[in-house]
Amino acid sequence: MSALLEIDDLRVDFSRDGRVTSHALRGVSLAVGVGEAVGVVGETGCGKTLTGLSVLRMLPDNAHATGRISFDGRNLLGLSPRELRSIRGGRISMVFQSPGTSFNPVFTVGHQIGLVASKHLGTGKKETERLVSETLHAVGLPNPDSVMRFYPHELSGGMLQRAMIAMAIICRPSLLIADEPTTALDVTIAQQILRLLRRLQREQGFGVFFISHDLDLVSDFCDRIAVLYAGRVIETGKAEELLRRPRHPYTRALLEALPGRAEPGASLPTVPGTVPTELDDAPGCPFAPRCPLVTELCRQERPPLVDVGSGHTAACHRSDDL
Amino acid sequence: MSVTLDSPEQLPPAYRSTGGISRRAYRVLRRERAAQVGASIIVLLVFVALTAPILAPYPAQGRGVADVPARDLAPSWQHLFGTDHLGRDILSRVIFGARPALGVSLVVVLMAMLIGVPLGMIAGYRGGWLDETLMRITDLFLAFPPLLLAIVISALLGPSLYHAAIALVISWWPWYARLSRTVTQSLRQAPFIDAARVFGVREPVILARHVLRNSTTPILVQATVDLGTVILAVGALAFLGLASQPPLADWGLMVADGRETIQTEWWISTFPGIAIFVTVLGFNLLGDVLRDVLDPRSGS
Repeated sequence: MSALLEIDDLRVDFSRDGRVTSHALRGVSLAVGVGEAVGVVGETGCGKTLTGLSVLRMLPDNAHATGRISFDGRNLLGLSPRELRSIRGGRISMVFQSPGTSFNPVFTVGHQIGLVASKHLGTGKKETERLVSETLHAVGLPNPDSVMRFYPHELSGGMLQRAMIAMAIICRPSLLIADEPTTALDVTIAQQILRLLRRLQREQGFGVFFISHDLDLVSDFCDRIAVLYAGRVIETGKAEELLRRPRHPYTRALLEALPGRAEPGASLPTVPGTVPTELDDAPGCPFAPRCPLVTELCRQERPPLVDVGSGHTAACHRSDDL
Repeated sequence: MSVTLDSPEQLPPAYRSTGGISRRAYRVLRRERAAQVGASIIVLLVFVALTAPILAPYPAQGRGVADVPARDLAPSWQHLFGTDHLGRDILSRVIFGARPALGVSLVVVLMAMLIGVPLGMIAGYRGGWLDETLMRITDLFLAFPPLLLAIVISALLGPSLYHAAIALVISWWPWYARLSRTVTQSLRQAPFIDAARVFGVREPVILARHVLRNSTTPILVQATVDLGTVILAVGALAFLGLASQPPLADWGLMVADGRETIQTEWWISTFPGIAIFVTVLGFNLLGDVLRDVLDPRSGS
């Protein structure tokens, strides 16, 4: 599978008054193939969303990114604002966590979706309207012609997320970044939205960069999974393989913490401790303080990300013992 | 999960959008007494100002021609509001007085908005040193009560209605800059602004479309109330002799005119005073309900 998006050694630093205050990403490398769905999982603060935002160059002003993000052979980090705008919403688009606040409350939904279409496709008024209606229909909204004339607050969360997806796919992007697209929805609606995304992906063949903290959700949806911890990728692999046999204790701990796998009646297992936030890397594995399998070596030397068999990689000294 | 998946959620029972501005205006007007009163006053006032020469019983006197033998007459069928020290019909002068009142307040508020709103938006959106600089400049103006500042400026420029208007613009624009800055700052962080950026919208377009349209409600509400306040301020300046000059029919000037004889010829000051009061009331009532009309989220 040829790579659509290739993130190579992406580092993001936050600074304040000229001093670096945190290294949020410490060298993330990831790839998304054409039409492939890649899930990015990890705890809060490990850099999932930041990685997604970096791709669209949506980092806050006080963040600084280095490394390389190639998309279709071009380095996104080096694009001019003009080139960037033509890619945003056109070739790469994004679905957000909270559909309720991602639409401008004072314009109708159809108007906002239409703006994206007319901007990137240069369609006229009539054509835009037809396209919006078609796309709203494609995301499973009934009566698209009347839904178009609704203001965001007049639609339910699930409907809005469908509309958001319509906005994201109307220009037929080749990459869709989905940042926890179901977090704000209840479970049944979340399932519908995931089904919808998968169906659209099959039909249109775009790649998906799926950000979530829910391994179950990601494993349902994605071909491959990358696990992030403290600003680094610590394990990647095919979804079913990674789930069947995680090769990093952090991934295993995340899996054990899933409600579906716990014994009924017993309290849910958690991963003890918190993600390290120190500015300077302590020597050794960043997960060592929380790791049940920690050895002396782990505390002294940071394990590199190595192949543990058929495209499955893990950064753990003891991956063979798992 | 045993639910039927990928079936669209149910639509709300009333499957109809609450509609645009005209619909909301109609709904608010039908429901709210304050809206009816406020709108009636303002519509009536605009009508009076436009048709003053036809409506006024003595149009020439409304424009300032004196009729000294008929001076200081109490209200009668001949002169419903009585006559002033120069024998002019007060009803006619109150009617003609609606013109400078509405005209000046409209111009002052529009100018103050045109200066203040873009500056405030840029300051709020950009932040940093630009924001600091612009806001310290507004602080300079806001340090004085607006009326006091206007009095000082129009006294410096020399008394005329034109100068009074300039003075009021100078003391009013910082309020709009402040207001629009605050609104912009809260909008800058809004997810839908980020969303617009993600979908490739240019920054100036984001400001002009997304930020401006979302700040119109508070700004227009403020502007409507200010229309009344400016009329009051113009009246105060005229009362002090710093704005309109005789023989222009100006409510503030007319109140000042009857001030010394208010014990005996009460009608000279009272009727123009009532005109100011009713106008300010009208704008205030309208400002209160304008929010419901402008904001699509209200009243569904």
